[in-house]
Amino acid sequence: MKNYVAQRLGIAILTLLGMSIVIFVLLRLAPGDIVDILFSTGGYVNADERKAIMKELGIDKPLVTQYLEWLRNFMVGDLGKSYRYDQPAWDIIRPLIPVTVELAALSILVAVCLGVPTGVISAVRQDTGLDYVLRVFSLAGLSMPAFWLGMVIILGLVSWLQWIPPVTYVGPRENFWLHAVQFGLPALAVGYRSSALIMRITRSALLEVMREDYIRTAWAKGQSERVVIWRHALKNAILPVVTVIGIEFAFLIGGLVVTENVFNLPGVARFLVQAILWRDYPIVQNLVMFIAVVVIFSNLFVDMLYGFLDPRVRYGS
Amino acid sequence: MRHAALVTTIAGLALGAVTALTLTPAIAQAPKSGGTLNVMLREDLAQGFATHETSTVATSTPSLPCFSNLVFFDQSKKNESMDSVVGELAEKWSWQDNYKNLVFFLRKDVKWHDGKPFTSKDVKYTFDMVREAPDAAAKLRINPRKDWYANVEHIEAPDPYTVVFRLKRPQPSLLLMLASGYSPVYAAHVPAASYRTGCVGTGPFKVKEWRKGEFVEYVKNPDFFVKGRPYLDGLKYIVIVERGTRTAALQSGQLDVAFPGETGRTSMEQLKKAVPTMVFQPVAQNVSDNIIMNTKKPPFDNPKVRLAVSYAIDRRGLIQAAHQGGAVLGAAMAPKPYGFWGMLEKDLLALPGYGKADEMKDQARKLLREAGITPQNPLKVEVGVRAIAIYLDMASFVVNELKQVGIEGTLKQVETAQWHPMATRGEYQMGANLTGLGTDDPDANFYENYACGSPRNYSQYCSEEMMKAFERQSQELDIKKRVAMVIDIQKRLEQDAPRPILAQRLDYFAHWSHVKGLVAHNNVYNFPRFTDVWRDK
Amino acid sequence: MAASPATVELPATTRAALARPGALTVLGRFVRKKPLGAAGGFIMLVITVTAVFANLAETHDPIATDAAQTLGAPSAAHWLGSDHLGRDVYSRIVHGARVSLIVGLASSVLGSFFGGIIGLLSGYAGGKTDLITQRVLDIFQGLPLLVLAMVMSAALGASIENVVIAISVPIIPRAARVIRSSVLSIREMQYVEAARAVGVRHLRIAFRHILPNTMGPFIVLMTAQLGSAILVEATLSFLGLGVPEPYPSWGRMLSVSAAEYAQKAPHLVIFPGLAISLAVFGSNLLGDALRDTLDPRLRGA
Repeated sequence: MKNYVAQRLGIAILTLLGMSIVIFVLLRLAPGDIVDILFSTGGYVNADERKAIMKELGIDKPLVTQYLEWLRNFMVGDLGKSYRYDQPAWDIIRPLIPVTVELAALSILVAVCLGVPTGVISAVRQDTGLDYVLRVFSLAGLSMPAFWLGMVIILGLVSWLQWIPPVTYVGPRENFWLHAVQFGLPALAVGYRSSALIMRITRSALLEVMREDYIRTAWAKGQSERVVIWRHALKNAILPVVTVIGIEFAFLIGGLVVTENVFNLPGVARFLVQAILWRDYPIVQNLVMFIAVVVIFSNLFVDMLYGFLDPRVRYGS
Repeated sequence: MRHAALVTTIAGLALGAVTALTLTPAIAQAPKSGGTLNVMLREDLAQGFATHETSTVATSTPSLPCFSNLVFFDQSKKNESMDSVVGELAEKWSWQDNYKNLVFFLRKDVKWHDGKPFTSKDVKYTFDMVREAPDAAAKLRINPRKDWYANVEHIEAPDPYTVVFRLKRPQPSLLLMLASGYSPVYAAHVPAASYRTGCVGTGPFKVKEWRKGEFVEYVKNPDFFVKGRPYLDGLKYIVIVERGTRTAALQSGQLDVAFPGETGRTSMEQLKKAVPTMVFQPVAQNVSDNIIMNTKKPPFDNPKVRLAVSYAIDRRGLIQAAHQGGAVLGAAMAPKPYGFWGMLEKDLLALPGYGKADEMKDQARKLLREAGITPQNPLKVEVGVRAIAIYLDMASFVVNELKQVGIEGTLKQVETAQWHPMATRGEYQMGANLTGLGTDDPDANFYENYACGSPRNYSQYCSEEMMKAFERQSQELDIKKRVAMVIDIQKRLEQDAPRPILAQRLDYFAHWSHVKGLVAHNNVYNFPRFTDVWRDK
Repeated sequence: MAASPATVELPATTRAALARPGALTVLGRFVRKKPLGAAGGFIMLVITVTAVFANLAETHDPIATDAAQTLGAPSAAHWLGSDHLGRDVYSRIVHGARVSLIVGLASSVLGSFFGGIIGLLSGYAGGKTDLITQRVLDIFQGLPLLVLAMVMSAALGASIENVVIAISVPIIPRAARVIRSSVLSIREMQYVEAARAVGVRHLRIAFRHILPNTMGPFIVLMTAQLGSAILVEATLSFLGLGVPEPYPSWGRMLSVSAAEYAQKAPHLVIFPGLAISLAVFGSNLLGDALRDTLDPRLRGA
C-alpha cells in the first residue's frame, strides 16, 4: 500500500509539473499581454513606455527564465506578484479560496442528496413512469447551461420578490440565514446539474448489483425490499459513486465559474475569469495550478478510498 | 348646526394637514449626517486610484471621493461651463497677462489623508509630472493627457500657498481642463506608483479597504477642509460584473446609486416600473458614438468615400436601434442644452446623415459612384469592433446601413488588448468607437482626437488648415466669437468626416429617493464626489 | 473435386435467420425499446434539419437590424419576438443552431477522433509508451474543461475555427481514456492473439481488428461529448470568448444585452436558453440510449 501511495504521489507531482508548463505556454500564446491591457485603460500606445513597463514587471526576460523563476518561487511558497494589482498573488488569492471551497462542498452535498435517492428510486422502479420522470428531471438539470439557470433565478427573484441574495460576502457569523441563502441558492443551481451524473451512476451501479446472485438469494429468502436495498446492494454500489464524486469535482469548476459571476460570490473562479481577461499571468497560473492540485489530490484520495473500500484493488495490480 | 361644526373641524384639520405637508418638505430638506451608501461599480478599479495614468471611468469615478482638484465643477450644477467652476484646493484664482498666466491662491487648512500638510509643492509636482516637464520630480508610467498641458511653459510655486501656471500663449481652456475629474492633485511625498494600490488624497473620504475584485470602502475624512462635510459616514463601491445581477441589485435596494452612464432608456423604464419612487436624472454623458476610418489608406483616404459613409448611417435609426432612444443628435461637442459649445438643432440637421434617411442614402450612393464604387464593383470593408455590447450594437447597426448603399462590411471582433495597438498603428480600415470628453472643452477634444500626431487621433487625420483653426479658437478670448469658431470647426470636421459622430449618449442616472443632494452632470467624468450628498433614511 | 464450403446452398429459413436486419427494423426496435433515446434522436434530427436548412427556415435575415421593431414581444411578424436591435429572435435561434451544431459536432468529432487514435495506439502498444502517454493525457485532463477552453480561446483569439480547437482539446484526453480501456479488453481476446500468432503486423491488427470493435464506445463517446461541447460553446460565448460576431450564437444571445432588457423583454432570456437546453438534452438522451444499446458494458461508466 505504501509503495502504491508513493508511486501515485510521484506521478501526481510529475503531472503537476507538466501542467505548469502547459498553462505557462498557453497563456503566453494569447495575443496581447498585461502591458497592452494597461495601455488600453489609457487609451493609447507608446513603444518606449511599453519597454519600461515590461522591464518593471519582469516580463522582458526570456520565457524560459520567467518559467524557471516562477517554478523556483512556487516551491518556496512565493507565488509572485499580480501584474494588475502589484501585490503578492497569494495575499489576493487567499481570501477567495474558502468561498469557492464552501460553494463546491455545498454543491456536492446537494448533488449527492439529490442524486443518490433519485438514483435508488429510479433503479428500484426501473422502467416505470416514475423512473422516466426522474431521469428526465435529472437530465434536464445537466442540459441547462449553468449561467442560464443562475440568470433565470436572479431575474425571477428580482421580478417577483424585489429581492436578490446579498451581492457582497456575508459571513456565517454575521448573519447565518443570509449567508445560508447566499451560498445555498448557487449551490442548488450547481448541485442540481451535478446530481445528474451521480443519479445515473447510482442507478446503474444499483441495477448491476441487484442482478447479483446474493441479492436474488436474499430476495428469495423473503427479506424486505428495503433491507435488501440498503444493507446489501447500496453498500456495494457506493464504490462507483465515490469515484464519480471525485470526477464530478473537476466538472464542478466549470459550473462554479459562471455561477460565482452571476451570484457575485467573491471566489476563486470569478477572479480567474477577470485575471484571464487582464492577462494577469501570475494570478492565472497560480489559480489554475491550485485547482489542478485540488483535482489531482482529490482523485488520488478517491483512488485510495476506492482501494481501501474494495479489497480486490488493494491486492491487485 | 352639528354639520357646520363637523365641516369646520374637517376643514381646519385639512388646512392644518396641507400646511404641515407644504412645510414638511422644507424641514425635511435639511441634510442629515450619518449613514453610508452603496454605489455600483461595473468592474474592479483599472489601475487602482491612479487617475493620471488612465483614461477610463473605471479608475477616475471611484477615485473621486478620495481626491481634490485645484478647481472642480460645482457638484450642485447639472451643466458644466466656465461659470460653474468652483474652487476646491484653490480659494481664489486669477488670470493675468491676457490669459497667459493663471495664478491660484491655495487654501491653508488642508491636510493629506496621512496627516501631512498640503502646499503648492504638491500642485507643482503633480502638473509638472503630467506635462512631463524636463525637470519633473516624478514620471508617470502611462500618461494619456500629456497634451492637455502642452501649452504650459512653466509652473511656479513662489510660496507654499500660491501656484502660477505660465503659458506659452493665451489659453482660457486650461481652467476647464484643471476642473475635470481627470485632474486631481497627487501628493508630492508619496510615489506616484502608490496610487495604483492605495490613495493618499485630500478629499472628503479616506480609503478604508480595497478588497480586490470585490469592493472599495471609504470612510469619512474627519479632517476634511470643508467643515461639516461630508455628511455621509462612508461609501462602498461594490463590483458586480454581471449586467443582470447589477441591475437587480439596484432594483432590490442593495445598491443605492447607479454608475454614471450605466442607466440606458430601457433600464430606466424597467426600474421605474419596479420602483416608482426611484429617481432618474436624464443627462448627457459627453460620450459620443463615432466611426473611425483610417485616412492614410485606401479607400478611406478619399474624403468622398468617408463622407458617403457618414451619409449612409441614419443617425436617428441608430439612436432608436442601439440606444432605444437614449441618445441625441450631436456633432463633436455635446449639443445644446447639454453642452456649452454644441450646435443648434437647425445646424445639426444640415450635417451629413442627419436628414431624411432615404435622401441621405441616395447622397451616399452618389458619392460612392463618383469614387468608382457601384453595386457591380462593391467596396468590401472590415469593421473592427471590441467584444463589448455597446460597441457591437453600434457596429451591427452600422454594417446594416452600409449594406444598403453598396458597402459590404464584415464585423471583425478585436480583443480589448488588441484594439488600441491596432488603432494607433493604423492597422484597420474602419472601426466602431466611443469617445468621451473629460471636460466639455474644445481644446481637450480637438487636440486629443483631431490634432496631427496625437496618439488618440486614431484616424490619423492631419489637416494644416484645421490645426490653425484649433489654434485660433484656443486663443480667442471673446466667448461669443469663440463659440462661433468652434461651431464652424465642428461643421468642417463632419464634412471632412475622419470620425463621423453618430450620436451623443444619454444617461438616465438612477438612484434611490433616500439619496439626497446628488446632482448628475452632463458629463460622466466629473461627478459624484459625494461631498454634499446625504441619506434621508 | 470436393465441394468447397462456400458453395453450399442454405435453406431459406436459415438464410432468413442469418440475414442482417434491415435498417428500418433496427430503428423500429430502437424506438420501441428506448423511447427516451428515440425522443432525443428526434430532437437532434429537428435541430440538425433546422441548422442545415437555416436559410429556408428563417423568416428574416438574422443580422438585419430594424430600428422600428426593437424589443418586440412575440408576434405574427416576429414569432419569438425581436431583440434590442430589432433583429428577429426566431431567425437568430435558427442560425444559432447551425453554429452550435457545427461547433459542437466539429469539436466532439475532432476531439473524439484524435483522442480515439491516441487511445487506440496507446492501449495497443502498452508498456512504457502507454504509461507516458497516459501521464501526458493526465496533464490535460487535470485542467478543468472550461478553464482550459477559456485559456485556449483567449490564446488563439476569437474565430469559429479557434473555438472548435479550444473545445476539442480538452475532449482528447477524455476520449483517449475511454477508447483505451475498450482497447485493453479487446486486446486480450483470442482472435487478436490468433492474428498475432499468424504474424499479422501490429498496425494492421490495431486498425483492422481492434478499431472496428471500438466503434460502439466511440459513437457513444461522441454523442456524449456533443452535449458537453454545445454547453461549453454557449458558456464561452456568454463570457465573450466564444464564436465572434456576426455569427449568431445562442450563448452570446444570452449575454449582456439579454440581461439588461430581461424584465421588459423576457423572451430574450427564455428562448435562447431553451434552445441550448433542448439541444444538450436531446444529445444526452440519444447518447444514453445509444450507450445502452451498443455497449452494455459501459452502462456503469
